[in-house]
Amino acid sequence: MTDTGLTRGAPGGRAKGDKQDRDWFELAVAAALPMAIALLALFFYIKAPVFMTANNWIAISVQVSALMTISIPFALLLMAGKIDLSVGSTLALCGVVAGLSFEPLGITGAVLLTLVVGTVVGLINGVMVSAVGMSPIIVTLGTLTLIRGLAQWLAPNPIFGFPEEFLVIGYERVFGLPILTWIMLVVICLGVGVMALLPIGPQIVALGVNQRAAFLVGLRVKAIGIGLYAATGFFVAVAALMSISRINSAPAGTLGIGVELSVLTAVLLGGIPFTGGKGSVLRVVLGVWLLGMLANGLILMNVPTELSLMTTGLVLIVAAGLDVLRARRS
Amino acid sequence: MRLEVNDLRKSYGPVAVLKGVDLAVEAGRVLAFLGANGAGKSTLLNCVSGAQEADSGDILVGDASLRGLGPRQVQDEGVAIIYQHFQVFEGLSVAENIFLGHEIRSSGCVDRRAQNAQARALLERLGVDDIDPRADLGSLGVGERKVVEIARALRLKPKFLILDEPTASLSDKEAKALHEVIRQAVANDGIGVIYVTHFLDEIPKIADDVTILRDGRILWTRPVGDVSIADMTDAISPDALVAGLEKIPFQADGPEVLRLEGLETSFVGPIDVALHPGEVLGIYGLMGAGRTELLECLSGAAPQSGGSMVFQGETRNFASPRAALDQGIALVASDRKEQSLFSSFAAVENLLVPHLGRAPLPRMLRNFSREGIEFERAARRLNIQPPNPRLQGQRFSGGNAQKIMVGRWLVDGAGLKLLLLDEPTQGVDIGARHELYEALADVKRKGSTIIVASSDATEICHLADKVMVLGRGRQVALIDNPHDEELLIELAHKAEHGTEEGVEGGAPQMEVVQ
Repeated sequence: MTDTGLTRGAPGGRAKGDKQDRDWFELAVAAALPMAIALLALFFYIKAPVFMTANNWIAISVQVSALMTISIPFALLLMAGKIDLSVGSTLALCGVVAGLSFEPLGITGAVLLTLVVGTVVGLINGVMVSAVGMSPIIVTLGTLTLIRGLAQWLAPNPIFGFPEEFLVIGYERVFGLPILTWIMLVVICLGVGVMALLPIGPQIVALGVNQRAAFLVGLRVKAIGIGLYAATGFFVAVAALMSISRINSAPAGTLGIGVELSVLTAVLLGGIPFTGGKGSVLRVVLGVWLLGMLANGLILMNVPTELSLMTTGLVLIVAAGLDVLRARRS
Repeated sequence: MRLEVNDLRKSYGPVAVLKGVDLAVEAGRVLAFLGANGAGKSTLLNCVSGAQEADSGDILVGDASLRGLGPRQVQDEGVAIIYQHFQVFEGLSVAENIFLGHEIRSSGCVDRRAQNAQARALLERLGVDDIDPRADLGSLGVGERKVVEIARALRLKPKFLILDEPTASLSDKEAKALHEVIRQAVANDGIGVIYVTHFLDEIPKIADDVTILRDGRILWTRPVGDVSIADMTDAISPDALVAGLEKIPFQADGPEVLRLEGLETSFVGPIDVALHPGEVLGIYGLMGAGRTELLECLSGAAPQSGGSMVFQGETRNFASPRAALDQGIALVASDRKEQSLFSSFAAVENLLVPHLGRAPLPRMLRNFSREGIEFERAARRLNIQPPNPRLQGQRFSGGNAQKIMVGRWLVDGAGLKLLLLDEPTQGVDIGARHELYEALADVKRKGSTIIVASSDATEICHLADKVMVLGRGRQVALIDNPHDEELLIELAHKAEHGTEEGVEGGAPQMEVVQ
């Protein structure tokens, strides 16, 4: 960045000073999230030393694994200027579908069917938003309610008692880490890889920056939009399998309730603006981690849930404030 | 009382746009302010209105300096500006638009009755009695909307009023009415007016003095009685534009690249034209003539509703810009900010975004060093300043950003066959404009066909082999480049206003001179 002073026009002292000033500020804002995580970890460590153990960190990773698995594709969707509020309900539907189909279809069949159902839900959202051109918020608010109803209709009573061979996903470890953690790490790597290495990465962001320009310049705006929704649906199905393998039940009424809000919180914490157009997958990972750590640490400190809820809300507002500050500066 | 600009200077990075402008308007007079696109008009207006800050120099209203003030404070100092783009809102009534942000209240509520009455008084003072203050703005024509904007500006009792191309989208009749309104405002309130326009023929009707801005400096200021239209044309269009692109031959006997037969869209048509490799078609017309619609149809961005388009021997009807791009047709849209630039993207990504994942770039994994090389090449070819691949798109000056937009399609191996350009030099300074023209010359030499639409007759005459004039969506002329700006302007105006004078279908239909 040799020439950020360009827009200021005036060569000489003032512009240069401004530039250094701004770089310093940018750095501070960029460091805010990692710093918050570090300080929070230190705080919890002091209050409850058990927090800083490998086992507890692994426990956090298991706790956030499903949230992370949804948040990564959700982040890409938001970067493209779209949103999917139906992820929580889709999670419930997928959980119910899996639970109901273990017996007739066997584990492999049930898993495949679940992944197909998730993807199809995403496709439907995507077609309505990207091909028909309906408002993302309204469409997915509709599917949020509709799919929750569908899940409860399919399974009025909680389903439980899944095959043991399936439940191992929820507790088994491979190479020292839980399978759930491994799945989460794979999803993170996929997200980072797609955005950093593949040609589709900048195209996704381009949609969020200027959809009209993206269309005129010849990007496949419809296909990219539908694909992102389908991917989100697919990974919600993955997250559903992860969740029900851990709790060994699929209650249609409560499974995944409010997940859309947790995901949104995590992604916004990760610095992706609500209007899309920019963002980094790694920062979203930090956002999810911060939420997970907060929940874990507050429980270790025996803080009542109400207080932990309030803290989460407060953290999000502070993050939004930082963003406004940054926008004002530039 | 006078509004004075003293030695105002403004640069964008290395590009000096205003190079010491001196200007004065007396209260009670109308100063016509002329200059070619890129001469620095909008920069000067922005500096006066407080939207941008000048590097040096001063702006005075009476004794008060406007330097360093924001738009709101400038307004408070008595300088109102009305931009070319409408800033009135449909869904609100005329009176509500006039009082927007300064509502009349009585006991906390908006007093509609008082607003309507005052709005009516304001409009009557301007000699307008056929606009109902209670009417929804959406029911008004463009001319009436301009009047509403003027009424709103005058409500704050400014001492000076700046109008940026107020008649750009108005018919002759509406323009005449608007002139009357402005005359009234000057006569009643003694305000001073800076009137920016491209239409030379309206200047004797509205202005007292004429000022020409050329290449960031005031060329001269004279009383309107002392200048002819020819004087102004000469002064505005720089001599440097004399050597045109049409000196470069094209393959007139080559295979037809594009043939349009009765092509129609919902607004434009029928269009008939045939183009050869390396040929440049200029499309001239006033705002709203259908230039953009035609280009969007050719590029697949807007549907074709009739006739046929034969591209390289095959009948095509592109469903999307992507489909057109696959055949080698690319569009550089007008309105860079809204339609082509990705403001937060680095320059290299802005340049290459259409090519990511397709030839000549790798399909799967991105090759960052290759992308860097492509940017370097484009930066050298088009003299992109600064040649910094990581700089965000929004940080480039208008001209350099536009170079990146055009540079997108000059990437070697992108397979460009037909380049469509809509107002390619809007908001582009003279230097960058020449570099863009040079790049287009290169495209022409390599045998790609170009269609360039512009509201700048000088630009059309400079670039085109063949000129099509559009008016109200219809093709009113297709002629060999006449090198006669006034002829084009006349044709376009006749086409636009012809039907009002009852000459339905009587627009001049010129034969193609091959």
